[in-house]
Amino acid sequence: MSQEKKGGLKRRDFLKIIGVAGGTAAVTGACSPPVEQIIPYVIPPEGIIPGVPNWYASTCRECPAGCGIVVKNREGRAIKVEGNPKNPINAGGSCALGQAMLQGLYNPDRIRSPLIKNDTGRMQPAGWENAETALVEKLQEAMQKGSGSNIVFLSGHTPGSMGNLIDEWMTAIGGRHLSYETYAFEPLTEANRIVFGIDKIPTYNIDKTKYLLSFGADFLETWVSPTLYTRQFSEMHSYKDKSMGKFVYIDPRASLTGVNADEWVSIKPGTEAILALGIASAIVSGGMSANGAGPFGGLLSRYTPDKVSSMTDVPEETIKEIAREFSSMQPSLAIGGGVATTTTKATETLVAVNILNYVAGNIGQTIDFGNTLTLSDVSSFDDISSLVESMSNGEVDVLFVYNVNPAFTLPKSMGFEDAIDKVPFVVSFSSFMDETTEKANLVMPDNTTLESWGDFIPNESVHGLIQPVMTPIFNTKSTGDVIISVTGQLKGFENTFSQKDFYDYLRNAWKEVWTSSTGGGDFDSFWDKALEDGGIYKTTSPVPVSVSGDLSGVEFSEPEFQGDGDFYFMAYPSYRYYDGRGANKPWLQELPDALTTGVWDSWVEINTETAEKLGIKLGDYVRIESPQGAIETQAYVYPGMRPDTVAVMIGEGHTSYGRYAKDRGVNPITILPVAKDALSGGFAWFTTKVNISKTGKYTPFVQTQYTTSEEDRPMVGTVALSSLVSGELEQEHGEHEEPDFYPPVKHSSQYRWGMAIDLQKCTGCGACITACYAENNIPFVGKELVAKRRDMAWLRIERYFEKTDNKAGFDTRFLPMLCQQCGNAPCEPVCPVFATYHNPEGLNGMVYNRCVGTRYCSNNCTYKVRKFNWFSYKFPEPLNWQLNPDVTVRDKGVMEKCTFCIQRINYAKDQAKDNGRKVLDGELQTACQQTCASGAIEFGNLLDEESKVSKLSHDERGYKVLQSINTQPSITYLKKVKWDKA
Amino acid sequence: MDNQGVLGIFSYIDVTINAVRKLKKEGFKNLRVFSPAPNHEIEHVMDEPESIVRFFTMFGAMLGAACGVGFTVLTSTDWPIQVSAKPIVSIPPYTVIIFELTILIGALSTLLGLLINSRLRKNAPKSMYDPRFSVDKFGIMVTCGRDNVKKVEEILNSQGAEEIKVDGI
Amino acid sequence: MSEQTSLTYAKVNEDVIRMLDKPTVKWLALFIPTLGIVGFGLFCFLYQVYTGLGVAGYRHPVFWGVYITDFVFWVGIAHSGTLISAILFLFRASFRISIYRIAEGMTVFAVLTAGLFPIIHLGRPWFFYWLFPYPNQRELWVNFKSPLLWDVFAVSTYLTVSSVFFFVGMIPDIAAIRDKVTEVPRKILYSILSLGWKGSNWEWLHYTRAYLYFAAFATPLVLSVHSVVSWDFAMADLPGWHTTIFAPYFVAGAIFSGLGMVISLTVPIRKIFHLEKYITLDNYDGMAKMIILTSMIVGYAYGTEFFMAWYSGSPYEWGQFYYRATGEYALFYWIMVACNVLIPIPLWFKSVRRNIKALFIISIFINIGMWFERFNIIVISLSRGFDPAAWGVYKPSWVELGITAGSFAWFFMFFLLFIKTLPSVSIAEMKEFLPVPRKEANHHG
Repeated sequence: MSQEKKGGLKRRDFLKIIGVAGGTAAVTGACSPPVEQIIPYVIPPEGIIPGVPNWYASTCRECPAGCGIVVKNREGRAIKVEGNPKNPINAGGSCALGQAMLQGLYNPDRIRSPLIKNDTGRMQPAGWENAETALVEKLQEAMQKGSGSNIVFLSGHTPGSMGNLIDEWMTAIGGRHLSYETYAFEPLTEANRIVFGIDKIPTYNIDKTKYLLSFGADFLETWVSPTLYTRQFSEMHSYKDKSMGKFVYIDPRASLTGVNADEWVSIKPGTEAILALGIASAIVSGGMSANGAGPFGGLLSRYTPDKVSSMTDVPEETIKEIAREFSSMQPSLAIGGGVATTTTKATETLVAVNILNYVAGNIGQTIDFGNTLTLSDVSSFDDISSLVESMSNGEVDVLFVYNVNPAFTLPKSMGFEDAIDKVPFVVSFSSFMDETTEKANLVMPDNTTLESWGDFIPNESVHGLIQPVMTPIFNTKSTGDVIISVTGQLKGFENTFSQKDFYDYLRNAWKEVWTSSTGGGDFDSFWDKALEDGGIYKTTSPVPVSVSGDLSGVEFSEPEFQGDGDFYFMAYPSYRYYDGRGANKPWLQELPDALTTGVWDSWVEINTETAEKLGIKLGDYVRIESPQGAIETQAYVYPGMRPDTVAVMIGEGHTSYGRYAKDRGVNPITILPVAKDALSGGFAWFTTKVNISKTGKYTPFVQTQYTTSEEDRPMVGTVALSSLVSGELEQEHGEHEEPDFYPPVKHSSQYRWGMAIDLQKCTGCGACITACYAENNIPFVGKELVAKRRDMAWLRIERYFEKTDNKAGFDTRFLPMLCQQCGNAPCEPVCPVFATYHNPEGLNGMVYNRCVGTRYCSNNCTYKVRKFNWFSYKFPEPLNWQLNPDVTVRDKGVMEKCTFCIQRINYAKDQAKDNGRKVLDGELQTACQQTCASGAIEFGNLLDEESKVSKLSHDERGYKVLQSINTQPSITYLKKVKWDKA
Repeated sequence: MDNQGVLGIFSYIDVTINAVRKLKKEGFKNLRVFSPAPNHEIEHVMDEPESIVRFFTMFGAMLGAACGVGFTVLTSTDWPIQVSAKPIVSIPPYTVIIFELTILIGALSTLLGLLINSRLRKNAPKSMYDPRFSVDKFGIMVTCGRDNVKKVEEILNSQGAEEIKVDGI
Repeated sequence: MSEQTSLTYAKVNEDVIRMLDKPTVKWLALFIPTLGIVGFGLFCFLYQVYTGLGVAGYRHPVFWGVYITDFVFWVGIAHSGTLISAILFLFRASFRISIYRIAEGMTVFAVLTAGLFPIIHLGRPWFFYWLFPYPNQRELWVNFKSPLLWDVFAVSTYLTVSSVFFFVGMIPDIAAIRDKVTEVPRKILYSILSLGWKGSNWEWLHYTRAYLYFAAFATPLVLSVHSVVSWDFAMADLPGWHTTIFAPYFVAGAIFSGLGMVISLTVPIRKIFHLEKYITLDNYDGMAKMIILTSMIVGYAYGTEFFMAWYSGSPYEWGQFYYRATGEYALFYWIMVACNVLIPIPLWFKSVRRNIKALFIISIFINIGMWFERFNIIVISLSRGFDPAAWGVYKPSWVELGITAGSFAWFFMFFLLFIKTLPSVSIAEMKEFLPVPRKEANHHG
C-alpha cells in the first residue's frame, strides 16, 4: 500500500500541492471543485485525471491522539480515509472513529450556513457578512465593558497554529482562552509531577515491554492514544520467536482492553492504589526489586500482600504471582488512569503505579519523558468549573464555543446549561447542531477537518499538518479565517493580524518551524514536503528522570463513593463515540460493540450472578438511580463485571446533534456528581453508587450476535503457549479435510489471493468493519433492521465468551469472519444463473447484475457471510458523495459479499501492468487490512512462496475455520495463544 | 370402388362380435367398430396390426436423452465458467436434466403418435356416427361398393342390428 | 364392489354429466370468496415486488421460509395424482378408477400453484426467466449444476406430462359430453376439446397403447420430481439438509400428503354430487392403507434423522436435531410428529378406514402435518447452521401468510372450475370396469 500511496502521492499530488502552496485561491485551487460542476469533464480541471485517485495527507482530529491520515479523493470528492504510514503515531493504522470522519464531512445534518438566533429564539440562516457584523457589534460592546475576563473562548484541545491564533486574539481583545477535553488525564500529569517532578504525560513504550500491567487504562479504546498503543500492544503481545509478552488487566470491569488481557483481575473499586503498593511491596520483600524500594521502603512495608488482599478482594497468591512476573519479565510496565481509576483518589493511584514502576526499574526503560504529550496542557477542570461559576454569575458577556460540547460532556449537576443561558451572547463554531450549539445566539459553522487548513501537535515528535482534501460542501468558513476577518473589523484592531487569512497565518507559523527544524533548503519545498508527508516528524531522545521520595499530601486510602446505592456506577468512554462526538455517524452507530455486539443504543452492563439475583434478563429495562438523577436503559448481562458494579457507555443519549444521534440511548454523565480528584483537581468519573431496579419494560436487545458460546465447534482455534514453545502442539480444536469427489482444479493464473488473520493480534476493535463499509459502499440500515438481523456488514467480528479455567472463568475470543473465498465454495454450484462463480485468481466472484435473488448461495454458505439487499437502501444527501465510484451500489433483490476488495486488486494489477511487472507483495492491501492498527490481517498472493501471506498460511498456528466441511478457504487463521507457564 | 358406407347399430357386445365375424366371412374387410369403451373382444375379432405408437415413444425418448446430453455439455463448454472445484462438464448433476428431457420429449412424441395414428375425426363421416356410441350402443360401419349395399344391410339385419344407416358419397 | 354393479353404461353417463349442470348458489358461494382471496394474495405479491423482499419475515441466516415451504408442499400434493392414475394403473389397482380423474386434476392444479412460488420468492422476480436456458444478449447459459435448475426442468416436465396425461384421459369422456349437451357454446367447446373422438376400434387401439406409455413415463417422472425437489436441500452442506435419505423420504411424504389431499377433496364432492356409487368405501379403504404405509415410512425417516445425527457424533448434526425437538420451533416439530405419525394410527382399524368422517378429519391433519414437515426441514435447519455467531430465528410476516392463503385459494379456484366443466369421474374407464351389455349373459369372451 505504501507503494501504491507513493505512486498516488508523488507525481500528481506534487503538482496539486504546488497549486496549494502557490495558493491564492488556496483551498479551491488546491482541491477540485464540487462534482456537479466538473462532470462531465470536457477539459479536466488541473491535476484531476478522471478515474485516478489523488491522496492528500492530513491529520485526524476525532480525538486528541492526532493520528496522521491520507485521504483518497476521486473527481473532487473525498471517498476514503486511511492512516498515514509515515506518521509515527499510527503508522498507517486507524480506528473506527478515524474511518468515520467522512460521515462527519458528508453528514446530512451539518449546519449549512451561519445561523443567527432571532428574538423568537429561532435560528435563522444568514450570510457571513451579517454574521460577522453581528459578532463585531457584540464584541465591541463587551470590550467597552472591558472587565478583562468577560470574553471567553472555550475550545477543545488545539495545540498548534489555531491555538496560538486564539490565544493571540484573546490577549489582544482582553479575553481568555480555555481548552477543555472531556478526558484530560489530569491525575496522570499530577502523579508524574509528584513522583518525577515532570507534569507531563509521557509516551509509554508498550511495544518494548515483556509484561504489561494496566490499572484500568483502556489503551486499546480511548486511553491517551489508542491507535498507537494498539499497534504497540500487538507488537508486545503477538507470538513470535517462541515468545510472547503477558498482559494483566486490573479493573472492576473487563473492558475491550480487559478481555484482550491474558488475565483479568477484578478488583474492588477504588483500591487500585493499594493493590499497586501491595505488588510493589511484594517485589521488594521478595528481594526481586531491580533498584530496591528506594525512598518508598517505609511506605511499602505497610502494604503486605495479605493486608492488601483483604482490602482489594484480590487473592494473595495473585498479588504475589503478579509481583513475581512483573519483576522477572523485564522490561515490564504498569500503567493506569482510565475511568476505573479516576476516583477522588485518582492521583494517589497513579502515584502508586509510578512507585510500582520505579521499584521494578521501569523508569526510563518503558516510560519515555522525552516524547511527552501536549494533552497535559489543557485547562484544568478547576478552570472549567470556575468558568461555569462566572457564567452563572453573569460575568461572561461573550462565550465562544469551538470543537467542544460541554452541555453534553459535563454532568447535569454542574449546571452548565443554566449558566450558558446567563451568557448574553454565545457564539458556536460547531459544524453540527449539538447540545451546546442549541444554546448559541450565533452559529458560525467551521469547515470540518477535511475541508480546512491547520496543524496539530499531539506530542514532541509529531507536528502534523491539516490540509483541505476537498472544497467545503456547504456555506461554511474556517474559524481561523473568521477570527482574522472579524478582528480586522474591530475598531483599533485592524492591524492585529498582518495575515489576510488563516492559511497565510499557518504558513508564517511554519516558517518558524522551518527555521527551527531543518532551516536548509527553501521554505516552499520544505512546505511541500511537509504537506506530502502530513507534517514533520522528529525523533526524540528520552530524558533521564529522578524520583522524589517526597509524597507529602499523598495519602493512600480508599476513596469514598457518594450515594447510598448498592452498586458502583461506572460511566466508561466508548471507543466508538469517544465522548459522544462520534454518535452522529451512522457507521459508528451500526458498528457492533465488540463485547455486547449491541448497536444504535445504550445498555447497562450487569454481572451475571447479580442479574440472576435481581431477576434481570438480557433486554430488560433497568432504572439506574444516583443522587443526581436516574436513567433507564436495557440490561446486558455480562460475566466480565464485578458483582457490585454496573457500567454504562458514554456517547449516546444526545438530545440534539442530528438525526442519527438524537433521542437514542442514555447519557450516563447526566447522573454523575461533580466530584474532583483531590490532588489534581481533575474531574473524577468513578465516584458514585447507584440503585438499580427493573422497570418491567422489556424489548429484545438488538445485537448482531445472539450466542456467546462456540457450542463445541472449532470456530476460534487456541493453542497453549507452553506447547508452542516446547514444540509438541496440543491444541484445543482440531479438524482435518476429508477426501474430495472431484480431482483438484488447476487455475491458470499468476495470482491466487489469500489472507491470513492472526487471532492473537486481533483486538476486536472493529475498525476493519467501518473501513469495509467505507470502501465497499455498504449501506447502514438502522436499528430496526439490525433487529431483524439485516445489517449489511460484509465483515463481522464474532465474539465468544468461552467458559475456561482461568481466573476470570471465561475467555473472550474474537473471530473476524468474512467471505473465505473458498476453493471449493458451496455457494457457487447452487447458483442457477452463475451470479457467483470461481475466478482464476481463487476469488469467489459475485456478479450483482446476474443475481436474481434465489438466496440459495447464502443458505449453502458454511460461514454465512453473504448479505442480501432486502430493500433499496438510501444514502441521504450528501452522504452519497462518499460512495466509492469503483464499487457498484447494489439495488434491492441481489446478494452481496466480500471479494477481497477486488477493485483494489484490479487497480494494483493495472499499476503493475503499466510498469510491466507483477503486483508486489505488500503493494496491495484490502481495506480491512490497511486500517488494522494491530496488523492482524495479512493479504497477498499465495502462489508467491516469498509473500508474507503464504509464509503465514504455513505457520504452525495456522488453521482453517470449519475445515472438515472441505470448503478449502483462502483465509488462514492463526490460533490464539493461551498464556500459560512458559 | 368402395364409396358407400353402411352403419349398423347394436346394443349388445356379443351380437356385435357375431355380426363382425359374419361380415368378415362374407369378405367385407373394410370394417370399423364403434364402442363406448375399449373392449378386448372387439380388438380380438378385428385383429388390427399392433399399434405403432410405441415407436414414436421410443424415438422420442432417445431424442430427448440426446438433447439432454448435448444441451448440458455444449452450453457449459460454450462459455466455461468455473464453479466451486467442479469440472466444467460434470456428468452426475447433468444426468438429472438428461432424465427429465428423456421423459418430456418421449411423452410429447407419444402424444403426437396418438394423434397421428388414431386418425381422429377421419374415422368416419359425421353421418356414420351416432351419439349413442359414447353412451351404451355399439356400431359397425362397413365401407363397400354400391352394388354390395343391399347385401350388407341384409347381413346386419340378420345379425340383429337395431338400426341401419346408409350413406352415399 | 356391490354398489357399483347396480350401475349401467347409460347411468354412468347420466350421473357424471349431471355434475356439469349450471352452477348452483352453493358453488358460487364457494367460488366468489375464493376469487377474493386470490386477489389478496396477488396484492401481497405486488406489494412485495414494489417494496422489496424485506416485507417478508426473512432474517439472516434464514433466507428461505414460507414460500419454499409452500412450494414443496404443493409439489408434494401434486404427486399422489399421478401416482394414483399412473402407478396404480400399471398395477391395475381397481380402487383408482373412480378417483383418479379428481386426483389428476389435483395434480395439475397443484403444480400450477407450486410453480408460482419459485418466482414469488425471488429477490428480483422480474428476471425469473433468467433461469431458463435461452440464447440471450448476455451470452450466458444457465448453471446445470444447480439443483434449482433441476427443479426448473423437473417441475416444468412434470406439469407438461401430467397435463397431457390428464387431457388424453379425458378425450373419450369429453366426446360423451359433446354428444349429450345441446347449448351451442358448450357444444362447440366440447367438440373442439374432444378432437372429433368417435370411439372407433382404431382410436381405442392406439389410445390404450398411448395411455399405457404415458403411465410408464409418468411413474418414474413422479418419483424423480420429488427426489429432485428433495435434492434442493440434500445437495446443500447444511446440517439437517445434507442427508442421503431425503429422496425416498420426500417421495413417501409426497404420496402421503397427496393421498391426504385426495381424501379431503373427494369426501365433500362425493357428498355434494351423490357419487357414493362411484367413490366407494373400498376405494377409501385402499387409500387409507397406502396412507398407513407412507405414514410409517415418514415416521421411520424422522427417527433415522435423529439416530444418524446422534450416531454421527457431529456437533453440527446433533446440534441441529436436538434444537429441532427442543428449540424455539419445538412446537412445530411436535405438531408435525403428531399429525404425520400418531394421528394416522387409528387407520389400522378397518372400522376407521371405512368411516368417511374419521378419514376426512385425519386427512386434514395430514395436510397440516405435512406443511409443517417442510417448514421444519427448511426453516429450522437454516436457523442453526455451522457458525453459532450466525444463528437466528425467523418469523413469517403477514405478506407471506397472505400469499400462502392466496395460493390455497388459487388451487381451489381451478378445482371448482374443473368440477363444473370437466368430467370428475372417468366415464370410459368406469364402463371398462362394468359388465359389457350382452344378449346371452351366460357365455363370456
